[in-house]
Amino acid sequence: MIGNVPIAKPVRKFVAHAEELLGTEIVIARDREAPLSGTLVDRYTYPVENEYIVFPAHYVGLIKDFIIAKLTLTLLIKGAAAKRGEYKVISFTEESVYNGMRQIYLDALKDEAKKEKKLPVNKLIEMLFILYMHFQEDMNELPWNPVVNTGVYIKIPKIRKTQLYYLMKEGKEDMDEMMEQMDIIPRRYFVFSKAMFYARDYFLARTLPADELMPVINIPQMKKFNHLEVKEMLTTRWTHTAWYQSKVFGDSMIQIMDSSIINDWNANPDLDYYYNLYMIIQRLTDNLLSYMSMNSWFVWEPVKHLQDAMLVKGEYEQKALRRIFGDLIL
Amino acid sequence: MPDKAAVEWIRKGKAFAAKKRYKDALRAYEKAISIDPTYAVPYFSKAEVFAEQGQFKEALELCDKAISIDPNYADAWSKKGLCLFSLERFADALTACTRALALNGNDPMAWYIKGVSLDELGRSVEAQEAFGKSLELEIILDMEAEKKKMGR
Repeated sequence: MIGNVPIAKPVRKFVAHAEELLGTEIVIARDREAPLSGTLVDRYTYPVENEYIVFPAHYVGLIKDFIIAKLTLTLLIKGAAAKRGEYKVISFTEESVYNGMRQIYLDALKDEAKKEKKLPVNKLIEMLFILYMHFQEDMNELPWNPVVNTGVYIKIPKIRKTQLYYLMKEGKEDMDEMMEQMDIIPRRYFVFSKAMFYARDYFLARTLPADELMPVINIPQMKKFNHLEVKEMLTTRWTHTAWYQSKVFGDSMIQIMDSSIINDWNANPDLDYYYNLYMIIQRLTDNLLSYMSMNSWFVWEPVKHLQDAMLVKGEYEQKALRRIFGDLIL
Repeated sequence: MPDKAAVEWIRKGKAFAAKKRYKDALRAYEKAISIDPTYAVPYFSKAEVFAEQGQFKEALELCDKAISIDPNYADAWSKKGLCLFSLERFADALTACTRALALNGNDPMAWYIKGVSLDELGRSVEAQEAFGKSLELEIILDMEAEKKKMGR
């Protein structure tokens, strides 16, 4: 390990374990500009010789240790898959972008038909690709979250209280996401997005029971889900709200997580162990995509494919728009 | 009261250090010391720069110098604890952090170093208590940082 940062013993041991298993050296550094969730720069994604874990400079204690632990486990999972030549991410092609944008457009039309105040056409067109990419990003990140958090919880019990705080904070931020666009984007996608976070938080609340992560109590935004059944009985109008629908879809997604994340967490932590975690993440991603009828939206490809696709995403967007709208789009 | 010019050089040094221009920062702190050698802060500021670069022995000497001028300098005791921990002198680190916390009980870094030192010394129950206090303070700081961000 390279770095001048004091780290708690169990986390330091975990980093050393990762270095030994992957045959690498991990640089741990703090940076004022680092995102709150920290950054992992790894050789499986970027052309670097060492792995880098960077955390925000204002985290001086256990929050920093938790970020390091979380990113170290992420690195182990990526590395184990890469060593088998099987590390892939959710990427996109010209065809898959068209599939996704077209579906969003059809759903937007249905929603717009019911609205009194219509969304200006240029805004609607602009929204299609933004929303598509939002899900591309979420599907590359969200399925990792319950797996990595469960792993850290089991491997490093000493930082559980910190993990609890971090998860509540993360849950709060995720529930805040998209709120400003609630009336713009098609209901279906607002609901899917909220349902995924709802499911993740509830899955973790049950998986990490010792510290009572109670999302509906501890995350202010989740209070909307509290006593939902009672409200449902009192008024049928409530069942038409996005929050009720998010709960219904979220409950199904919890079942998907339960059936996808099956693992012997206390097995010998060798490369096969971490590869198995990667397979779980892939399975969970596929199952969530199926549930949301997004199978044709994305493709599993090596990182390079995604990096190349990102370079031409504007082109893909324009081509998809031309296919959807024909000559109406110049 | 410290010399105004010395305080100004320290301010400049901090600005350099924030931009990771460590040589310039050290030069600025040296200027402050040359203006007022009885002022503890520039020694501590130099220690921060050395610690940031992993030069803990040098940083430790500077913390000791700052403490010799001002024995109640809480931040210098805290940084001394960090240096000692990094040099794997865990019992000494614990003593330094205990002193730092007697002077300022709201230093999350001192609580954290106390916790990790206790853990290294096999006193895990006491370590958990220190970690708990450190986390509590870190959460307060985190929430303040969040508020600042929202207010921007």
